[in-house]
Amino acid sequence: MLRLLVAVALCACASVPRAEPLVAAASDLQFALEEIVAEYRRESGRDVRVSYGSSGNFTRQIAQGAPYELFLSADEAYVEQLVARKLTRGTGARYSTGRLALYAPMGSPLGRPPGLDVLGERARAGVLGRFAIANPEHAPYGRAAAETLRHLGLWDAVRPRLVIGENAAQAARYASGGDAEGGLVALSLALGPELAARGTHTVIPESWHAPLHQRMVLLANASPEAEQFYRYVLGPESRAVLARRGFQLPAD
Amino acid sequence: MSHCPALTVRLEQATPCPLDVAFDVPHGAVLAIFGASGSGKTTLLRAIAGLHRPASARITCGAATWDDTSAGVRVPPHQRRVGYVPQDYALFPHLDVREHVAIALAHVPSADRRARVDALLALAHLDGLGERRPNALSGGQRQRVALARALARDPAVLLLDEPFAALDGELRESLRRELVSLQQATGVATVLVTHDCDDVARLATHVVVLAGGRVATSGTVEELACSNALAAHSPRWDPAAVYDARVLGHDPERQLTRVGHRGLEFEIPIVAASIDETVRLRIPARSVVLAVRRPEGLSLHNAIAATVIEIQPAAHAALRIVRLGAGDARLLALVTADAVSNLRLETGRPVQALVKSVAIDAWLPGLGA
Amino acid sequence: MDWTALRLSLELALATVVLLLPLAFLLARWLAYGRPRARGLVESLVALPLILPPTVVGYYLLTAFGRGSPLGRAFEGMAGHPLVFSFEGLLLASVLVNLPFAVQPMQNALAAVPEGVRDAARCCGLGPLDVVRRIELPLALPGIATAAVLTFAHTLGEFGVVLMVGGSIPGETRTVAIAIYDRVQAFDDRGAGILALVLLVVSVAALWATNALARRASGRP
Repeated sequence: MLRLLVAVALCACASVPRAEPLVAAASDLQFALEEIVAEYRRESGRDVRVSYGSSGNFTRQIAQGAPYELFLSADEAYVEQLVARKLTRGTGARYSTGRLALYAPMGSPLGRPPGLDVLGERARAGVLGRFAIANPEHAPYGRAAAETLRHLGLWDAVRPRLVIGENAAQAARYASGGDAEGGLVALSLALGPELAARGTHTVIPESWHAPLHQRMVLLANASPEAEQFYRYVLGPESRAVLARRGFQLPAD
Repeated sequence: MSHCPALTVRLEQATPCPLDVAFDVPHGAVLAIFGASGSGKTTLLRAIAGLHRPASARITCGAATWDDTSAGVRVPPHQRRVGYVPQDYALFPHLDVREHVAIALAHVPSADRRARVDALLALAHLDGLGERRPNALSGGQRQRVALARALARDPAVLLLDEPFAALDGELRESLRRELVSLQQATGVATVLVTHDCDDVARLATHVVVLAGGRVATSGTVEELACSNALAAHSPRWDPAAVYDARVLGHDPERQLTRVGHRGLEFEIPIVAASIDETVRLRIPARSVVLAVRRPEGLSLHNAIAATVIEIQPAAHAALRIVRLGAGDARLLALVTADAVSNLRLETGRPVQALVKSVAIDAWLPGLGA
Repeated sequence: MDWTALRLSLELALATVVLLLPLAFLLARWLAYGRPRARGLVESLVALPLILPPTVVGYYLLTAFGRGSPLGRAFEGMAGHPLVFSFEGLLLASVLVNLPFAVQPMQNALAAVPEGVRDAARCCGLGPLDVVRRIELPLALPGIATAAVLTFAHTLGEFGVVLMVGGSIPGETRTVAIAIYDRVQAFDDRGAGILALVLLVVSVAALWATNALARRASGRP
């Protein structure tokens, strides 16, 4: 009984709406979005709270009621799921298209820059070390990585050597950590300061995997501040940042 | 003097240990529950305190009914006016002596509490120890604290479970004296569980012998000792006559004191007691010599004309207990079967009972404190 | 240095202790002094969080008060937001997960109070509540303090259950433990290191306090 009262009391406090909107962002946006948010802060004086993670995870959490107001997914399909469940305000907008890259840290046998043929040889010869990708089940970049490996006919050879990251960022950490020979990571992360300093990468042709159209959407409980940020992400300054950071911009 | 007892106990149960008892405790009495270890004595005491719920019980204290299973009445321990001293004293490790006594004084207005605590500490000879914790007290001191705590409740009944079992001989003796003084000063009815014969001989006014969970025999300590009923139920009991005698007079020249009981008079080495004071006498049967006529030229002071009431078997096959009567008083003598036949002792035969004055154990609560 | 995360961790730890301790005391007392037939079962259930992987606990908690559950729906109806992914949900999960840390030390401390002492207290005229207040609580105090410190320290470090039930919502459910994980994923090793150090210092302090209390309880200075 007491517990209930305290919980209710706490609810009352927690229910006071916070000024800063809550944003769920796919982890491949780690560096790009940080820059965008910094710009936004400078220009508007307002701040946002961002959580990075795998798009699939966020979709599940949002469906279970997580209080995010804006969702930047690395895959349109997840947004469509939320739209179908009537959890969104509108259908959102495509804000970029992601690219996949083969990454190898310094000293990796995969070469500088890493070669797909080398990868294929080593895999088939059975001498490939640990190879990192994001989780194909709920991370779009993981799905794309799996598709790429299948396209190259290397899936069965590489699969026993896979290290699965929970999301694109974790996969990138594993790939660059030194314990793995390399991995298939988000291009935006391979271009980021940490990975760029520790290794090199080769961009994967788009046709080798289903496109990583990245869609963002406002959720049903979005505040006006969230909407404001949504519009900013679609604006010219943000687009410039995205382009610089390894994303392809949508045609419009 | 009220004929209504201070406490009536009727109790029956099969588990955890079988018990089937019925007895009363008169006002101001010290009732010893005497029996071998494990005979259910502690359980019985706990039931009286309200700590144990027997299958079937009726326990009343004065006008209050504490337990009546047939009527569904059960008064919890904290509402019974009972003072309980468990076997290991169960002192509170985190409280000092003053707090021990004070905690039981909830029924006293707080303005008077301090004075009451002081009075109880003085009564229990605990002066100067008020701020000490149990782990800084000796065994005897702890026992006194437990007693003081029990008495602080102003109980209608005081319950003691083997109070001296954990203490050595000399300490036991001095604490027995203190207990008797306390009990006589407060007049509280006391139930004392013990398997120690000296406790019974020194302290008890009434005895209930428990064997196999049942009351084997009960009565005043004088009745049970002088009929030798106690020896039948406890092999450790040294047959003896036990009574509370009165100091009749002193003879300072001869260094002797005269004590009397039921018309019998004895001379014992002089004791520091006032006239009319009560002294607990124990006359061991082994110290009583029988003669067919009054002897002369012997050192002994006490030759009593008595009649043989009964000859009983004794613990040893070659010995006999001779029960003697002198008026209303009773004596016991332990003699060989050979002596019985030599003297042709039989019921009704007049004899002289010879008792050495030094063999009479005269016990005063005030002595040697 | 993520002060919000630290504040959140401390709030969660403190709130857990405040809520859990009285409940755990009642449960510990029942286990120590009652002789219930279900005692073995209850003790096992209480000890479950000690051996179950946090993910299993998290999974069952999500099932128990996720959006689809009766409890979750009732809460959302009252508070306007779901129980999961909220501080309240974390608090509820934390209270359940910390049961053994709170119950076991208190149960041991209460069981160590000799039955004779409690009996003597009752015979001194102390009613049941007074026996608890004046005898059991003071004598079991070191155990209660240990329970408080252990619960506090364990809540600070709790990760798996917090992540599953709370997500990683800044200012709401992103505790220090989650924040460290988050910083590592964000390639912010320095930030992660600072947070980890802070958590380490607090945990060491908590353990030191527990040991000091245990020493005091056993009578050694």
